[in-house]
Amino acid sequence: MSEHLQPTVQQDGLRRVAIDPVSRVEGHGKVTLLLDADGEVCEARLHIVEFRGFEVFVQGRPYWEVPVIVQRLCGICPVSHHLAACKALDHVVGAAPVPASADRLRRLMHYGQILQSHALHFFHLASPDLLFGFDAEPARRNILAVAAAYPEIARQGVMLRKFGQEVIRATAGKRIHGTGAVPGGMNRHLAPADHALLLAGIDEVLTWCRGAVELVRRLHDADAAFYDSFGTVASGFMSLVGEGGGLEFYDGTLRFRDADGQIVRDGVADRDYHRVLREAVKPWSYMKFPYLAERGPEQGWYKVGPLARVQNCDFIPTPLAESERRAFLDYGGGRPLHAPLAYHWARMIEMLHAAELIRDLLEDPALLAGPLTAAGPRASEGVGVIEAPRGTLIHHYRVGEDDLVTMCNLIVSTTHNNEAMNAAVRAVARQTVSKQTLTEAALNSIEVAIRAFDPCLSCATHALGRMPLELALVGADGALIERVLRD
Amino acid sequence: MKRQFLFDGRPVPFDEGQTILQAARAAGHYIPHLCWHPDFPPHGSCKLCTVKVGGRHVSSCAFPAREGMEVESDTPEINAERRALLQMLFVEGNHFCPGCEKSGNCQLQALAYDLEMTTPRFPHFYPDRPVDASHPDVLLDFNRCIFCELCVRASREVDGKNVFALGGRGLGKHLVVNAETGRLADTTLAADDLAANICPVGVILKKRVGFAVPIGERTYDAEPIHVHAMERDT
Amino acid sequence: MTEPSAQEKRPEPARLRIATASLAGCFGCHMSLLDIDERIFELAAKVEFDRSPLTDIKHCGPCDIGLIEGGVCNAENVHVLREFRRNCKTLVAVGACAINGGLPAQRNHLDVGACLQEVYCYREGLDGAGVPDDPELPLLLDKVRPIHEVVRVDYFLPGCPPSGDAIWKFLSDLVAGRTPRLPYALMHFD
Repeated sequence: MSEHLQPTVQQDGLRRVAIDPVSRVEGHGKVTLLLDADGEVCEARLHIVEFRGFEVFVQGRPYWEVPVIVQRLCGICPVSHHLAACKALDHVVGAAPVPASADRLRRLMHYGQILQSHALHFFHLASPDLLFGFDAEPARRNILAVAAAYPEIARQGVMLRKFGQEVIRATAGKRIHGTGAVPGGMNRHLAPADHALLLAGIDEVLTWCRGAVELVRRLHDADAAFYDSFGTVASGFMSLVGEGGGLEFYDGTLRFRDADGQIVRDGVADRDYHRVLREAVKPWSYMKFPYLAERGPEQGWYKVGPLARVQNCDFIPTPLAESERRAFLDYGGGRPLHAPLAYHWARMIEMLHAAELIRDLLEDPALLAGPLTAAGPRASEGVGVIEAPRGTLIHHYRVGEDDLVTMCNLIVSTTHNNEAMNAAVRAVARQTVSKQTLTEAALNSIEVAIRAFDPCLSCATHALGRMPLELALVGADGALIERVLRD
Repeated sequence: MKRQFLFDGRPVPFDEGQTILQAARAAGHYIPHLCWHPDFPPHGSCKLCTVKVGGRHVSSCAFPAREGMEVESDTPEINAERRALLQMLFVEGNHFCPGCEKSGNCQLQALAYDLEMTTPRFPHFYPDRPVDASHPDVLLDFNRCIFCELCVRASREVDGKNVFALGGRGLGKHLVVNAETGRLADTTLAADDLAANICPVGVILKKRVGFAVPIGERTYDAEPIHVHAMERDT
Repeated sequence: MTEPSAQEKRPEPARLRIATASLAGCFGCHMSLLDIDERIFELAAKVEFDRSPLTDIKHCGPCDIGLIEGGVCNAENVHVLREFRRNCKTLVAVGACAINGGLPAQRNHLDVGACLQEVYCYREGLDGAGVPDDPELPLLLDKVRPIHEVVRVDYFLPGCPPSGDAIWKFLSDLVAGRTPRLPYALMHFD
């Protein structure tokens, strides 16, 4: 890419177009485009413009506060940070593995999190684009308009998220930012009343999840050529895989595939992440750019999240989701799918898998009784890797003998997808903006591509707070050429 | 017949030498307090127990009960003043409840809930107060100190160790550890000392047990401090 | 028999307009707004959203209620906050970060320049180390501030985040014209 270009208005002969803000979640983002005299896009960048400094101020705090502090990084998937931190600190307190009850309760919490976050992403955020079209009247692109046009779809989305949030409440004490997991285990069992509540709801949830996979498949099939090409850029994949190569959300080893689907690295233990990954810093974004070290920054970037996981694993260890995975692979015809919009399909397959996992787990008596914590010889360092709803999440801590954290390094899912999202933004910008009149729909299509990767970046722009977008074309002399506003 | 005074319009009997707070408690009336503790003499520093007697503001923990006096306590005016005191305590320190292991068990927080303090209102000081983690079993997080001196008094009067003191004045007031190094590790404090277990907020903490009590089972999850305090430490 | 047309002619009760924004927050408060679950459809019948979770509108007009999540950590936050204050009759600080800076304010006793250097220059495994300094990035403030230190705030809704029930109670009070008040069970700072 034209990395030598600087995204400033001073760039000779180039016009700057800003979409600001793209979103306001886990960092505010904006897109800048540079256009040449013919209106061709020379550069398109997604900037993460917020810095909150969690990695720094966690240092000097006692380690047991960390799982509670770091989940405040993200209110959409706090459980991922809560558990990744605990998994890292389990090593510090000598409690890896944690007792069976703690393992099952944490898994239940995590699967609840996957369920609610995937439901939120698809129904509340993405579905208006997919159901009404990218160029639909902006006033219609929201969950309430979905509720008016497709009341049952909207209701199921809301109720699916509710169920996932209730799973989290039952295991963490509250729906957002609870305290269920502690270094070395958990602080509670599942209460019998909550157990009964979840059992009573799970069958309907499974039915809805199956319907959701059907729906997204139908949408994809209806305009397959477009779905497959929109913003598509081939890349590698990274995710955890479990025992035997199965899809795994909570614990496992890292596997990398290249753009052709060949495994290039496998079995990387969590503590070895820094041996295989490097991060590039670029002056125009607070978000770093990780890549697989051995392949270098140009070839080594990868995608994470549902699209990567569903294609990186060898199988899904629950029957309904596995059968949907096979259908998904068949659709690809032996080639990996790289289309951002295919994320939605993979996401719904994962949501179904999460529901199956919850149903199976609810049969496990360890949720209701048994030791909750373990302890052993102390270690000075711990790494926790987990599959957050939108991709691999890495937490790394060092803890002094005085129990205070001395080092904290976090690589969050959104960061892993940084290059992938930028590539998609560039691709869509060229497809929809280059040499064309600026339209609101073109604006939205750039967001649609970002939205497909990461609910944390799409929330604010869509169903969760539609932030105003202003797209301004400014000539090289600084004069405003054209302005498109959307509030 | 016992002598009595009027507490928010209701007669409260008292014995000679009892303070307003003691007599009111004995009669089942709660007066908010932070630095007062039933096992120690009144300290009179937090002023949360302020009541109005004959138009004057007095600390009920230190003011002796007198025959026929009229005491106003649970009134909008007095509670607004208590709320302001709480707000000042919140902005003076670094009280970040979301990350604090004392949350749910903290008297400062519980009083803020009880008095419906929804905002700290004043500009925050955001002081820089590093923690002292030198002791093997006890952590000191000075960020949350409200200068009630309960630890100072407990260590001096009950534990016989004199581990803590307050140093400085006004804005510079701070909790200090009585050791040449200033480090808790260089004192004789033990984890089961009263001083290590009396902090009403999240300053003096047992290490490695934070967040062991689930949400819903913490002290003030189920009942407000005005109920809990009357059940427990009378 | 009631004439259906007569009912249609009756003017709709004026719906309140609500705008929301997240500044230096985690979006947990917005998530908690969604935790009112199916009541969201009920709420939507009583209020209109403007720059909101629920409805897109063409122009950001004057609002009755503005909900702000998050503290103020950079110049852009200040800008957005002032815009909200100008447009909203009632401005509400929602959640710990808006009310006292929240956990991000734990960086306040650190030097922000040193913070940035640590994360972008001195970490292991970095290429092209250097603090991002592109003009596209808004200037950071030296400290994270609660929103009431920047603009006048009418109500404060505490919690990290306030629960869905707390938000529901608060909004129900506001919509009904009552002074919002949280019962003890819904009053939390964590």
